[in-house]
Amino acid sequence: MPIIELKDVSKLYGFGDATTLALDEVSLSIEAGEFVAIMGPSGCGKSTLMNVIGLLDRPTHGEFYLDGKKVSRLRPNQAAKIRRDTVGFIFQSFNLLPKLTALENVALPLLYKNMSTTKRLKMASSMLERVGMQPREYYLPSQLSGGQIQSVAIARALVNNPKLIIADEPTGNLDSAGSLLVMELLSEIHKMGNTILFVTHNPELTRYATRVVYMHDGMIVQDEQTAIGQVAKTARRIMRRPQMTEENDLAGVSALMKALPAKDDVATAESKKSRRKTVVRKKGKRR
Amino acid sequence: MKTLSRGSIRAAIKALRTHKGRSFLTMLGVIIGVSSVITIASIGQGIKDQVSGQINHVGKDLITVRPGQQAVTSVGDLKLFSSFQTNGTLSNRDLSTVQKTHGVGKAVPLGIVGGTARGERGTYSAGPVLATTDEFANVINQGMQYGTFFMNNDDTEGVVLGAHAAAAMFNELVPLGQTFNFRGQDFVVRGVLNDFGSAPLSTDVDFNNAIFIPYAASQLLTNNATSTYEILAKPAVASQADAVVSNIHASLLKLHGDDHDFTVLKQADNLAATTRVLDLLTQLVTGAAAISLLVGGIGIMNIMLVSVTERMHEIGIRKAVGATNRQILSEFMSEAIVLSCTGVVIGVIVSLIVNLLLRLFTSLTPVVVWPAIIVAAVVSIAIGVLFGSAPALKAARKDPIAALRSE
Repeated sequence: MPIIELKDVSKLYGFGDATTLALDEVSLSIEAGEFVAIMGPSGCGKSTLMNVIGLLDRPTHGEFYLDGKKVSRLRPNQAAKIRRDTVGFIFQSFNLLPKLTALENVALPLLYKNMSTTKRLKMASSMLERVGMQPREYYLPSQLSGGQIQSVAIARALVNNPKLIIADEPTGNLDSAGSLLVMELLSEIHKMGNTILFVTHNPELTRYATRVVYMHDGMIVQDEQTAIGQVAKTARRIMRRPQMTEENDLAGVSALMKALPAKDDVATAESKKSRRKTVVRKKGKRR
Repeated sequence: MKTLSRGSIRAAIKALRTHKGRSFLTMLGVIIGVSSVITIASIGQGIKDQVSGQINHVGKDLITVRPGQQAVTSVGDLKLFSSFQTNGTLSNRDLSTVQKTHGVGKAVPLGIVGGTARGERGTYSAGPVLATTDEFANVINQGMQYGTFFMNNDDTEGVVLGAHAAAAMFNELVPLGQTFNFRGQDFVVRGVLNDFGSAPLSTDVDFNNAIFIPYAASQLLTNNATSTYEILAKPAVASQADAVVSNIHASLLKLHGDDHDFTVLKQADNLAATTRVLDLLTQLVTGAAAISLLVGGIGIMNIMLVSVTERMHEIGIRKAVGATNRQILSEFMSEAIVLSCTGVVIGVIVSLIVNLLLRLFTSLTPVVVWPAIIVAAVVSIAIGVLFGSAPALKAARKDPIAALRSE
């Protein structure tokens, strides 16, 4: 049974002419234990996909099963509870509470389980030990380096022992040393059996992944398995095509589009795109 | 709310401590509201106690006869014995009739004599010169500081001074035997009365500043035309005061040829009237002060709204790690409750300090009214919770993604 199962999930924002389609009938199935990298240009819907999978957001249409349970129509409070017990979040901007120490930040998710303070801090401390941050547990986030802050955030994501870790560009604000530290940590966690989804712009980081999903304009345009330790094929092609020409830019052709392997794959994406317009019209009527 | 745990209260205290100045200013509204309500209620109660204490001191059975028909002004169901038609006086015959009325133990006249006294320290005009008889001190239950009340009514030279008058007229602490001139006649101080105790809002003549001369002496000075403004009578048996009042009323009515141009009152009636007036005043002012409790609540709401907006990102993070709407709600409610409870505690302490200062530095004697404290505390905590819930609900219902995005 896949841990994540999306069936024709769409997400619309706004009304009428201002409607934007952030996710366009995305279907995706992820098995437990996979380490999935999600790539794509800005605005392609990666973050929206992460938010939907992490139950921060509700899909407008479609069905979503998390760990075998249908979660696409949950009320906010039910979603909060599943989020607390099943999902750990790692953000690009770390999102630690600046006035709490590293230890208190890690213990925060446990607070909402109504756990006693002593037990919470104990669990948080052992989690910090796991990410190598225990010597700094009484530091405030402002006293730590970027890599260290993200390590603390990883400890927070892990403290509830979630089945799924969602990392939205975890290395986006980090230097190379910090990125390495964070990715090594995630890869260790993956080895322990956790399922990890992470968004990245850096093709190099697909080395750590077992699977790479490429998105464009709210659709999944490419989905490939890859060996750990190797940059994924399509990602490698993106790397080799670093220069974007002005014409391509104006035509709305991204490096990803050029890097996609076969013409017919792109063609299916195009046909889907035309279909999308009818979908939007249909939904517009309903409002 | 079961999620209002000790932990969330502790977290609230911590959050409020990071903005000490702002938290204090927020509480200031509550503090001022609570302390003013309590202080005003205490002052009102203090005045009431003073007035009733004084009336109890002279005796609830003391009967006063005054000239004129008492005008009764009505405010709703509240009757105020406010204005007396004091034109006209009581006569000697009135006095002797009252004295002879069945059930009357003692009766003394109180007359006002015009003119100024010239004492050792010059002219004295701070108080009236009152003419009365030797039973006066007995009738109103007043003790002597020094000396005696007139030894007998034939001694037309002896006078008695109120405590303040004695201090104002003479340099000596005990001015017994001192003399002063009044309307051409020399008088000798035979005694000084005890302090009457202040009675704010009392319409009575200020006895502390008064000079008491024998009624006989005033009759000599005025050619038997002393204007008696009041006759004080004491029933022989205290419990029969009501019967004696109607006896006096009946006999005076007969004497005046059925002309009802006088008023007979018992002190207890005076007390009831005064108490009602004071109660109404206290309630009015307390009500005005209670509005500041409301203002305090609005202050809490205001700051909480600012706080929710400021901490939107934090709310997003908390929601992302699994906080339910209810848990966010309880965190912000805890802050509102901590703010209002702390404000109430400080407000009560401030009001107690103000009470103490008033007792030390003014003639007011505020009495701590526990029901007022409890009501003020409960009401302001309730207002804090009520007004805190709107911002807390706003925080709780925030969409997590929108909250995370705000910076």
